[in-house]
Amino acid sequence: MARAAHPEAMKPRTPGRTRTAPPLMPDEFPTRGRYLPYVLFDATGLVYMLVGLAALRVVWDLGSGPEAWGVVQEQLRHPLYVAFHGISLVSVIFVGVRFFRLFPKAQPPKIGPIAPPPEPVITAMLYATWIGVAGVMTVILAGGIF
Amino acid sequence: MSDQKKTFVVTRFDPDKDDAPRQDTYEVPVEPQWKVLDALNYIKDEIDGTLSHRWSCRMAVCGSCGMMVNGVPSLTCKDPLSNYGDRVEVAPLANFPVVRDLVVELDGFMNKLESVKPWVLTAKQRAVEEGTYRQSPAELEQFRHFSMCINCMLCYSACPVVANEPEFLGPAAIALGHRYNLDSRDEGNRERNEIFRGEGTVFSCSYANECSEVCPKHVDPAAAVNQAKFGAVIDWATSFVVPRREKE
Repeated sequence: MARAAHPEAMKPRTPGRTRTAPPLMPDEFPTRGRYLPYVLFDATGLVYMLVGLAALRVVWDLGSGPEAWGVVQEQLRHPLYVAFHGISLVSVIFVGVRFFRLFPKAQPPKIGPIAPPPEPVITAMLYATWIGVAGVMTVILAGGIF
Repeated sequence: MSDQKKTFVVTRFDPDKDDAPRQDTYEVPVEPQWKVLDALNYIKDEIDGTLSHRWSCRMAVCGSCGMMVNGVPSLTCKDPLSNYGDRVEVAPLANFPVVRDLVVELDGFMNKLESVKPWVLTAKQRAVEEGTYRQSPAELEQFRHFSMCINCMLCYSACPVVANEPEFLGPAAIALGHRYNLDSRDEGNRERNEIFRGEGTVFSCSYANECSEVCPKHVDPAAAVNQAKFGAVIDWATSFVVPRREKE
């Protein structure tokens, strides 16, 4: 252990009777065990922020007329944009799979008088909803509906 | 005594002499059945009597002997030495101020534990002649595994939020508060849910899940914290539509 934790981590309300050494944290952070997925999970927030900004830009251009819309469509075909959307897709799948794995465990033993369904059923419901919504969106974007 | 020897690199800190913790190295002849704690006791008894470490029951019940072994929070009386190679690093629990050598300051944890009111709260104390508080096995099953916590604080050492946000209540305190929220005899849900909705409580947890990974009693504090999130939100939302009433 060599990395310094926050100097006031687990500090008592009133000082102890002897001088103490400041708290340390494991050297391996953030690469050991589940720390790495945790850090990556939080880091995907940056990707979503960029996706949000890109979406706003697309909507803005859509409102600026057919010419601007044509330009933005052309730009979206650029390899950098395609790579960015690939990273976004990986981020969404990573967060989705992690969330779906943890969500059943976070259920309370009872919601009012009703007990939640077994964990595999909750997981199956989550995946079914995800696949269903993704399928509908794909059909809409492919021009199958509307 | 066995011929096998292991090298122990032990973190030492004397508040009267040292500016910062240092590491001392000991060669220990070990037996195949030894736990990490046996080696520490050997060092204390046979090599260096000045080494300070906490231990008591030697059977993973009291929660006293939690330390970092090769960087991982571990209950040293439960952790077999055969899990490790020839070099074993032992350090005080991470994220806690160090009092001396392997002994950490516990008062911060006790302050946090106390703040979630980990005891049965009732609106009115039942008179003795009214009999005992009864609970069915199904009701007990709702919270039983959360009540297995031995306050060993390994979860606090593993938690990255504890390391970075001093105000965070932490896994064990929240798990114990949640355990009482699930107890059919308890009437303190509202009080505790208000605490859980406050600053530095359940919503500071980003579900690293490392607390559940290191828990020696399989309490699964990460699940408790996230169930407590759910409970605190439901309690807040229902307060707008359902008038508050005490449990009967």
